[in-house]
Amino acid sequence: MERWVFITGIIVVYLAATLVIGLLAGRKATHSVAGYVAGDRSFGLLVMYFVTGATVFSSFAFLGGPGWAYSRGAAAFYILAYGVLGMAPFYWMGPRIAELGRRLGHVTQAQMITGRFPSRALSALIALMSLIAFVPYVTIQIRGAGIVIEAVTDGHIPLWLGALVAYGIVIVYVLVSGVLAVGWTNTFQGIFMVVIAWALGLYLPWKMYGGIGPMFEQIAAARPELLVQPGLDAAGAPWSWGAYSTLILVSAVGLMMWPHLFMKAYTAKDDQTLRRTVILFPTFQLFLIPVFLIGFAGVLLPVAPPDPDSILPFMILNTDLPALVVGLFCAGALSASMSTGDALLHASASVVVEDGVNQFVRLDDRTQRILMRVLVLVTGATAYFMALDPGASLVQLLATAYGVVSQFAPPVLAALYWRRATTAGVVSGLVAGWVTAGFFYFNPGLKPFEMHEGILGLLVQVPVLVAVSLATRKQSQEHLGAFFPARRAS
Amino acid sequence: MTLRTARFLAGAYLILMAVAVTWPGMVPFARIRPMVLGLPFSFFWPAAWIAMAVPVLYGLDRVERRHRDGEEG
Repeated sequence: MERWVFITGIIVVYLAATLVIGLLAGRKATHSVAGYVAGDRSFGLLVMYFVTGATVFSSFAFLGGPGWAYSRGAAAFYILAYGVLGMAPFYWMGPRIAELGRRLGHVTQAQMITGRFPSRALSALIALMSLIAFVPYVTIQIRGAGIVIEAVTDGHIPLWLGALVAYGIVIVYVLVSGVLAVGWTNTFQGIFMVVIAWALGLYLPWKMYGGIGPMFEQIAAARPELLVQPGLDAAGAPWSWGAYSTLILVSAVGLMMWPHLFMKAYTAKDDQTLRRTVILFPTFQLFLIPVFLIGFAGVLLPVAPPDPDSILPFMILNTDLPALVVGLFCAGALSASMSTGDALLHASASVVVEDGVNQFVRLDDRTQRILMRVLVLVTGATAYFMALDPGASLVQLLATAYGVVSQFAPPVLAALYWRRATTAGVVSGLVAGWVTAGFFYFNPGLKPFEMHEGILGLLVQVPVLVAVSLATRKQSQEHLGAFFPARRAS
Repeated sequence: MTLRTARFLAGAYLILMAVAVTWPGMVPFARIRPMVLGLPFSFFWPAAWIAMAVPVLYGLDRVERRHRDGEEG
């Protein structure tokens, strides 16, 4: 049997297993919006752990991580640095958000924000901006899946076909089973990603250099600039500390605020499950160590891959690995892509219907669920066609997406923790933040210290939110009472 | 340990971590040697902060849980 046929066979088995798990998962869900969007708030620790890990780490981490380590060296360590910072605040915020959700019926982030700051325009604005951030993110996932399949099958399965099949399956299980499919397939995909990353990350340096230490000794002798922060920029010139540091900060804030992750707080069975998920998250995150080792292993290869993002498939094909290992690697990369893509598609449909359409036209529960399914298809198709365009600078778009979602942080924190905040303050702050971020995105030369536009947006947003809130009338006691249960007298 | 102390320590750990992995806290540790477990120090440093977050958060959780149990009992 030809090598690529065998590899394709492994991919087919993996995809079939994912489809079966996804379809079986939805059988127990109730036919309601809470069932489709929040899984009837039933996820236990095992599922929450893998949903969180596999959703956070997408094909950007699995393919882009080694690509960055290979071409930009220590710059890649930013991906390592932000995860815990973005996740840990959920130890406190998560149970709070979940409690409000149970009591006031929220299933999305915008519902929580507008529950405290009632405004239909605000709700629609959040839905629109979420969608703007989601589409490029889904597009990257779809493209990543297509690239990997094309590479490991020596081009016998072209990008358009691989991406179509992989995401056709994602769309089927999201349509049928909603968030329960996302939960159970992510558990399967998360285990796959972690096991394969560790296995390959330890195996490749050992096979090529005789160990991790010897590998870094050789890199330190030949390319020492790759091993110290802030590493290199995309063009291979030294990167700046300002860009490195603010990328960590904006990624941490953005991670905290991505609506598809935030919404998972509503799916947990109970508060202790949420807290344990946060405590254990760093153990999942450490799988980035072997991911970077894979990239560093390629640094001293005599031949260069066609572009840095394909370092992983390139090395897999150029190190005479057994076909079984190549097939499993591909399944791991597909896991990383699909486990993020499914959550994104599901969340974007939920957000547009719940926070956009439903604010203006009252829909019954059944119509909402039908409309969500239509939107899953529409978003998936849009992202698929964008993914086929090789000219699109997706990494750039994703960096922008973090600029957009990081602006949700002040409204969320104000809703949860600041009684004096007002609707006018939150709306004007958000608009000011987005305008600032957008301005610096289109005029990168004007950024002070090469800071990320998302951080600059936050620096403008926070004072505007505070000033306008203080200048407008405080919310009524009874309205606040629903959000802030009476403090204990202790 | 009281709840306040535990929250303060956990919060302080996270803030210290944010400083330690960005400018200027990262600068003194952005170096190749000493290598730890085969990794350059610049790589080991952020990884160690991540790994240490697990016992820190676990410790916080123990105190928080005891406090909640006491409240209900």
